[in-house]
Amino acid sequence: MSYRLEDLFRLVQKPGRYTGGEVNSVVKDKGKVNIRFAFCFPDLYEVGMSHLGMKILYGLYNREPDIWCERVFMPDTDMERLMRENGIKLFGIESREPIDRFDIIGFTLQYELSYTAVLNMLDLAGLPLYSRERDSSYPLVIAGGPCVSNPEPIADFFDLFVLGEGEDASLELFELYRKHKAGGYDKEEFLRDAARIEGVYVPSFYNVSYKDDGTIASITPKNGAPAKVRKRIVEDLDSAYYPDRFVVPFIDIVHDRAMSEVFRGCIRGCRFCQAGFIYRPVREKSPGVIDAQSRALCENTGYEEFSLSSLSTSDYSRIEELLEKLLGWAEERQTNISLPSLRVDGFSEELAARLNILRRSGLTFAPEAGTQRLRDAINKNLSEDEILKTAQKAFSAGWTSVKLYFMIGLPTETLEDVGGIADLSQKIVDCFYKNPDRPKGKGVNVSVSVACFVPKPFTPFQWEPQDTMTELEEKQRHLRDLIKTRKITLRCHDPATSSLEGVLARGDRRLCAILEEVFRRGGRRDAWSEHFSLQTWLDAMKDLGVDPGFYANRRRGYDEILPWDHLDYGVTKKYLIRENQLAHQSRTTPNCRISCSGCGAAVWGKGVCTE
Amino acid sequence: MRAVRIRFKKIENAKYISHLDLTRTMARAVRRAGIPLWYTEGFNRHPYITFASPLSLGFESLCESMDIRLVEDMPMDELVRRLNSVLPAGLEVIKAGEPVMKPKEIAFAAYRIAFQNSGFADFKENIREFLSRQSIEALKKTKKGDLKNVDLKPALKNAAVRVDDRSVVIEVVLPCGGKDTISPNLLCSAINDFLNEKSGTEQKLFCNIVRVNLLNGEGVPFK
Repeated sequence: MSYRLEDLFRLVQKPGRYTGGEVNSVVKDKGKVNIRFAFCFPDLYEVGMSHLGMKILYGLYNREPDIWCERVFMPDTDMERLMRENGIKLFGIESREPIDRFDIIGFTLQYELSYTAVLNMLDLAGLPLYSRERDSSYPLVIAGGPCVSNPEPIADFFDLFVLGEGEDASLELFELYRKHKAGGYDKEEFLRDAARIEGVYVPSFYNVSYKDDGTIASITPKNGAPAKVRKRIVEDLDSAYYPDRFVVPFIDIVHDRAMSEVFRGCIRGCRFCQAGFIYRPVREKSPGVIDAQSRALCENTGYEEFSLSSLSTSDYSRIEELLEKLLGWAEERQTNISLPSLRVDGFSEELAARLNILRRSGLTFAPEAGTQRLRDAINKNLSEDEILKTAQKAFSAGWTSVKLYFMIGLPTETLEDVGGIADLSQKIVDCFYKNPDRPKGKGVNVSVSVACFVPKPFTPFQWEPQDTMTELEEKQRHLRDLIKTRKITLRCHDPATSSLEGVLARGDRRLCAILEEVFRRGGRRDAWSEHFSLQTWLDAMKDLGVDPGFYANRRRGYDEILPWDHLDYGVTKKYLIRENQLAHQSRTTPNCRISCSGCGAAVWGKGVCTE
Repeated sequence: MRAVRIRFKKIENAKYISHLDLTRTMARAVRRAGIPLWYTEGFNRHPYITFASPLSLGFESLCESMDIRLVEDMPMDELVRRLNSVLPAGLEVIKAGEPVMKPKEIAFAAYRIAFQNSGFADFKENIREFLSRQSIEALKKTKKGDLKNVDLKPALKNAAVRVDDRSVVIEVVLPCGGKDTISPNLLCSAINDFLNEKSGTEQKLFCNIVRVNLLNGEGVPFK
């Protein structure tokens, strides 16, 4: 005897992940909609529901009367087991109906290690994994998100990708789908027309050939697809759609608050940071628009907290003006404003006090590298002096703990640079004890978190070899040996996950077979550390004759055809080469507001490029 | 400042909202409704909302109770109307007004438990047989985490049992509040075990549990 879906809710942990019915979730009459869209987030509800992009697109799609967009998340292991045992297919939370009957299934690809979860979700939905195995009777399977800047390792599973910001391109895609559906949908014909929409990449319309040494010989478009697919951007954020309500979850999620987007892109150009390049150019929203949107969100959700979201909120050019506006109503309504990744030193003392900056967010720095030389090489414009001055201020104000974020494995890094991490941490400890105004009777804690660098496409480091696992482990050991005091807490990321991330981030289409094989061998949830097994991947690569070092640890030539060379994110190769050369000379590049460095994003003629 | 007791239903989909999540859900609903709620004073100010008796995840209820305080008075029917316009499906305010009893006075809860026949042979007969036993032993987990044997028979003496084609419905009053609390889950799993023992299976018996009333020591409904 098998259970129904509703029965499973009584048998699993946190049923609120699957039941739906949250305030502001959208339920439509399925008889009256034309396009049913499954928005799939390949991670747990708690993670997916914290994602701003999904909230924007959910609202945007459901604003169309004939489209019903539902949310779909990766079920946890207990739910997956029960679903498989009882023949229950992956379902949309709003309708509780299986998504294999939907028109379009859209994934967001946020993180390389979520790829096995994507395959698992397709499988749970009862769909063949490969695009070529799904004819016109199946839903169209598409994806967007930052990993689409190199979707090649997962390209064979998708019918098309949307590059860049999805708002406009997906509405155009829906319009095309309406026409095709009215005239009898044929997948192949639809894809031919879709490939003509700017930002739409149909991977099956490109032939990739390889040289004997394994590098790419050519990428050739067919069926009228463009030689280069350019990403889309939202040109004017003030007039762009932004939801005035979020779905308010019952269960506790990772970021359980309202979020107001203040700008897209980043002026900084830190050379390791993919987000800093693929979201260019910087486009800001006006304070008045942000204020009105924040207020509507808080009123419609009842949230007691909202955050100002962007890649680097203190770079917002009118931050004081904005905060004055927001505090005008937020204080009176018992609403907190949270400011992630904010530079503490940029504010007047009065404003800092009203925001409770120190009390709430604590003191966090991301120097990323231990020496000024290496910080210059990665273009991270944060000086030791700035860090120590701010720490000093915070200690005087009663703070006793500081968090520092670093990376190891950065290009040009030496053991001396790694040692610099220990030195800088020690200097902060010393700064505490030298401070006569420090909190009495308390010790200091400097918490140091060390990630492993992964070279990413469309960054100046896209040609760089990633450190091998052995090298990373060696550097971690070296650092551990240099830290002598218990006032410094050192946490190092697992080099195994970073190594695999490195393979997938710059991989090509030949990795699709590896992905499938790992999935067949039980890989389902590699983004969750407790389910990650590097050995499964290494075995699959060995058995299928793929060398992970070819993708991760090899220096690539500037003239090599990269797997993502037919995709265009605005930043030119010429610029990235120049930045790569500057890195090797430890020379910095000024940020977009100081001077334009000609990255290529000015082709859109928007935002900071026109200031 | 005015103390207000809000009585509400928690049914259907809302039965999957845990007690902790309900606290958050209600606080946000009150904010959405624009009700002038009193916040606690001090360093970490938070909305003052307390619940009379936490309800287990998966139970429905027709008699939930939460107390808030208002900084400005407002008509109670308007408060009910405004809250109901912003609550998620399954949460529904029945009435609001002056608290009469203290939540501590709650001593019993009345439940309606419906067992669905999910494929057990001689389902009704076996449940009848089970209920007619001299003593009905069940293992209860105490707060300390130990297991303790309790006899459910005294509580079941006054239980009303209704049987129709598809289900068996038991209406029962159980101690609620304090250390003698008996969860209806105890009864359900005891019946589940008995049915499995009889039929030599390891099946899950599904039941729908509704809390229909909260009572004080004298059996007077909580007000």
